[in-house]
Amino acid sequence: MKRHHPWLSWPQLREGPMQLACHLCDTLQAAPRLREGDGAYCCVCGERLYRNRPHSLAHATGFSAAALIFMVLAHTFPFLTMTSGSISTRLTLMEAAHVLIRDNDPLVAAGVVFFTMVAPFILVAGMLYVAAPLRHGVALPGAMRVTRWLQWMEPWSMLEVFLLGLIVSLLKLGKMAEVEFGLGLWALGGLVLCTAAALGGIDKMELWDRLEITRKGEANQT
Amino acid sequence: MSLPPPAASQELASCHVCQKVSPIRLENCPRCGAHLHLRKPQSLERTWALLLSACALYVPANLMPIMTVSGLGGGEANTILSGVVAFWQMKAYPVAIVIFTASVLIPILKVAALVWLCLAASGRVWASPRALSRVYYITELLGRWSMVDVFVVAILVCLVRFGTLMTITPGPAALCFSGVVILTMFAAMSFDPRLIWDRHRADLADAPPP
Ligand SMILES: [Zn+2]
Ligand SMILES: [Zn+2]
Repeated sequence: MKRHHPWLSWPQLREGPMQLACHLCDTLQAAPRLREGDGAYCCVCGERLYRNRPHSLAHATGFSAAALIFMVLAHTFPFLTMTSGSISTRLTLMEAAHVLIRDNDPLVAAGVVFFTMVAPFILVAGMLYVAAPLRHGVALPGAMRVTRWLQWMEPWSMLEVFLLGLIVSLLKLGKMAEVEFGLGLWALGGLVLCTAAALGGIDKMELWDRLEITRKGEANQT
Repeated sequence: MSLPPPAASQELASCHVCQKVSPIRLENCPRCGAHLHLRKPQSLERTWALLLSACALYVPANLMPIMTVSGLGGGEANTILSGVVAFWQMKAYPVAIVIFTASVLIPILKVAALVWLCLAASGRVWASPRALSRVYYITELLGRWSMVDVFVVAILVCLVRFGTLMTITPGPAALCFSGVVILTMFAAMSFDPRLIWDRHRADLADAPPP
């Protein structure tokens, strides 16, 4: 079932010549295998159709594992601590959601929690769940469904926007009171970088080809 | 000049989840099981409806206070624009520009861009399809950054809690503005850029050969 080509980085199930339709202009064109690092571009609109990213799954595994560790740190330690007189307040995401709910704004609280905690968690944990075993040709139960969730969650994970919000707040508060950086802020920076690296490095063609192969393999065994 | 045919003309649909090209008569993608369609269903109608709702919410989002600062000297309600003006007066120009871009410029430009794309896709205005594709790409990329103002409110509400000395509470505009951002993101997702090229192909077919 697995077929290795001399310069290909992953096996592909081929039941005939591969074709691909550009997602912008729908032009049907042949999808040849590329050398590592090369990209294929649409002949009509010039949009990049796909790229062969070397070691895509290994990168995704490494970066999403690192992102998960950063995520734990970012939620454990405060991003900022503000002191005015004898009172000091700490900012963590849970705390912010709690205060918003207390101030009668549960919908905004739900939005903040979803965009900064739920969506990034599904993205990072889901990527690790799919990519790590798939490197060794194993798909854990529900891997295809998780991959679909990943695609849906991608636009709603807004950690980098939250980081910009933190910087803006810092500049706003700096003149009012004493504000200290917490470990959470650095962890959030690491989390944003690792999530971007994991997402940017993953090769969706390779991911789906490999998922398809593992499923065909399972079907053959039974 | 004629363009290579679209996959749709051969009854082939590209799966919107995994990109595999399969015949539309299969109904579901053989690889991932997602429902197949040649174009996003009711793309233009949905995009228009979402854009109109976003515009309707944009009015209260700007008129109502996004947060209220209360302290010893009484309360002060801030709208999105008054926040920008306050930063400008504090001579914090980069912050003022960031907030203005994220909460005023990007939503307005995004809605304008999507209106333009919808009009072009239904053939009421003409523009180069390459330029339109570019506009669509940028629109999808930038939309999420508008959320920054809502996050700033959440952060300030959490940090500034000093009882009677100074406390910040969220205002109704925070919810309206998140609604605007979410609706415009859905609008961008429901727009199908392939409609632009369908229109372009139809125009080329109608034009007499030179
Ligand atoms: Zn194209
Ligand atoms: Zn599919």
